Amino acid sequence: MTQPPDAIVRRTSPTVVLLHTVTFRQARQFVPVVIPIAAATGLGGGTRTVVTLIVGVTLLSLVTAALTWWRFGYADGPAAVVVTRGLLSRSVRTVPNDRIRGVEVETPVLHRIFGLVRVRIDAAAGAQAGKDEELLIDGVTRAEGDRLRVAVLTHRPAPGLPGAQDAAAEPVEEQFARFDNRWLFYAPLVGSYLAVPFAAVSALFRLADELPARFQPHLDETALSDGQLLLVAAVAAVLLLWLGSVVGAAVVNWGFTLVRRGGSLVAVRGLVTRRHTELEVDRIRGCTVAEGAGMRLVGAARVNALVTGLGDANRRGQLLPLGPRTEAWTLVRRLVPDPGPLRRHPAAARQRRLVRATSPGLALTAAGLVATPLAGWWELLVAGVVLVSLGVPLGLGRYAALGHAVGAESLAVRSGWLVREEAQLERRAVVGWRVQQSLFQRRAGVATVVACVGAGNGGYAALDMAAEEIAAFTAAASGSWATTFSRPAG
Amino acid sequence: MTAVPFPVREPAWSLSRSAIGLWVTESVISSVVTGIAATAVAVFVPSEPGTALPTLRWLVPVLALAYAAVAIGIRPWFKHRVYRWEVTADAVFTRTGWLTQTWTLVPISRIQTVDVTRGVLQQLFGLSTVAVLTASSQGTVRIWHLDADVAQRVAEDLAHRAEQVRDEAT
Repeated sequence: MTQPPDAIVRRTSPTVVLLHTVTFRQARQFVPVVIPIAAATGLGGGTRTVVTLIVGVTLLSLVTAALTWWRFGYADGPAAVVVTRGLLSRSVRTVPNDRIRGVEVETPVLHRIFGLVRVRIDAAAGAQAGKDEELLIDGVTRAEGDRLRVAVLTHRPAPGLPGAQDAAAEPVEEQFARFDNRWLFYAPLVGSYLAVPFAAVSALFRLADELPARFQPHLDETALSDGQLLLVAAVAAVLLLWLGSVVGAAVVNWGFTLVRRGGSLVAVRGLVTRRHTELEVDRIRGCTVAEGAGMRLVGAARVNALVTGLGDANRRGQLLPLGPRTEAWTLVRRLVPDPGPLRRHPAAARQRRLVRATSPGLALTAAGLVATPLAGWWELLVAGVVLVSLGVPLGLGRYAALGHAVGAESLAVRSGWLVREEAQLERRAVVGWRVQQSLFQRRAGVATVVACVGAGNGGYAALDMAAEEIAAFTAAASGSWATTFSRPAG
Repeated sequence: MTAVPFPVREPAWSLSRSAIGLWVTESVISSVVTGIAATAVAVFVPSEPGTALPTLRWLVPVLALAYAAVAIGIRPWFKHRVYRWEVTADAVFTRTGWLTQTWTLVPISRIQTVDVTRGVLQQLFGLSTVAVLTASSQGTVRIWHLDADVAQRVAEDLAHRAEQVRDEAT
């Protein structure tokens, strides 16, 4: 790819040197080297040493930050974006415009103070996705960031795409979704948000361990009886989890809006770090609607877009991080045509789900039946019976989640109990079919069909579909090539 | 077992007979490895009476022998009946597997790359594998153990046709 002469090589803002000096961004990699040296040369304590160290590290940080800034350049030409960097060994990365899938503008707190933004340009990821598929331009002014985003997205040659032409003519804005702060109360029922307080608490414990003994909180163990202590601890833990997940969800999703601007979808969110993600509507092949077991209780759902060639799709493809089910489905219907109501899977599928859900319990019960008279291990028997009785509703729940549908322009498959996920796919999304049948499935007359999609996690499965329906389903849900499944050989 | 109909039809063409030789060789190698491990169990596990250990000492070698018998004597011929492939006017179609069978169908218009690979054992038997990759990580079709010249021709033909009918490929 040759760079046309009219592409000016630009630099990031010089302010970023200051920013990176403060955060020791480049100097951080020297820390593991410096500490043993300092220890070996026997630098004692004393205020002078500390001051020397601080000044030295800051100077080092300033120098590396300045060098990095000096050696970094980027150019957004009409055909490609080129980023040049590297202190000693130079690296030049060229990404052709037609391979750019999205642009993300982030504003972390410090960047906001200095009036800077960080621009992430996503290039198409192949079948083997890697972290290398993006360009990171750290520290341009906000105006330059916006210019770059617009420039990169409009340079993209897209003559045949109606969406892109609309964008050139009149960039109409249409609001698709807006976060309502009341939705934050769904957060305690979502697994990933519950993980936030856990991480915070474990960090706290690690910190407490490193404090000198006299600063550590001194718990008087005799003051409370064990029962009271447990109760207090449990209530405190529940409150902490509840609060932590709400705060975590607020930090990530604050002020979330999803807007369609011409041919792209723009999502903005975040309390501390503002993120601005732009996705091309024409690259969206479908959506997934995920509802965890807890979310189903309160009718909440999460929507992700399936964008071809988008790396880190779980984060970048989010269209509705958390919201009521009705809102989620309104959003999905704007992007994917309705394939109609889901069809249930045959009774054999229910039987298979039940067998699978109860088999660990049944095995344990059997072991218990043997072990109770022999060794008196009745606990095994009890555990087995409990597991079986839990397995029955689990199996039925997993069966109830199964379903598939096919319409004129789209298809849908749904599965999962802990997290029930429904994939709504456009017809053109399907790049292949895989049919899988085990010996047990053959006897039950069912098989699993996977629609291979060049987006999301690569494939969406309809578990245990009736074997005789498969040829008709695949033929109806994709192009004429899928009739190969039923057409006589020859 | 053949009474139950397949969920979809089977691809038209079977593999060359040399694939059986390759599978037998693979099974022999894995049986030797399992055999060594089983012998180690029989030799080194102490036989303390009253525990499960003495049972283990004869059970493991018996299982290893049974595995070897199935893997060498039955599986290669069974696989040869299951593994089938076909290139139609608009798609690549394969069936693979053994106890669990997998049918994969990929339209030629969505092919991104076509690879031909030859493993060490495959070279001994003059075989190659054609891998057809699409934009989906799960939508990869592998036509195993074709005769090397057939594989080469198939790969060239597919690459050529994919170029002509390519739509967006994603």
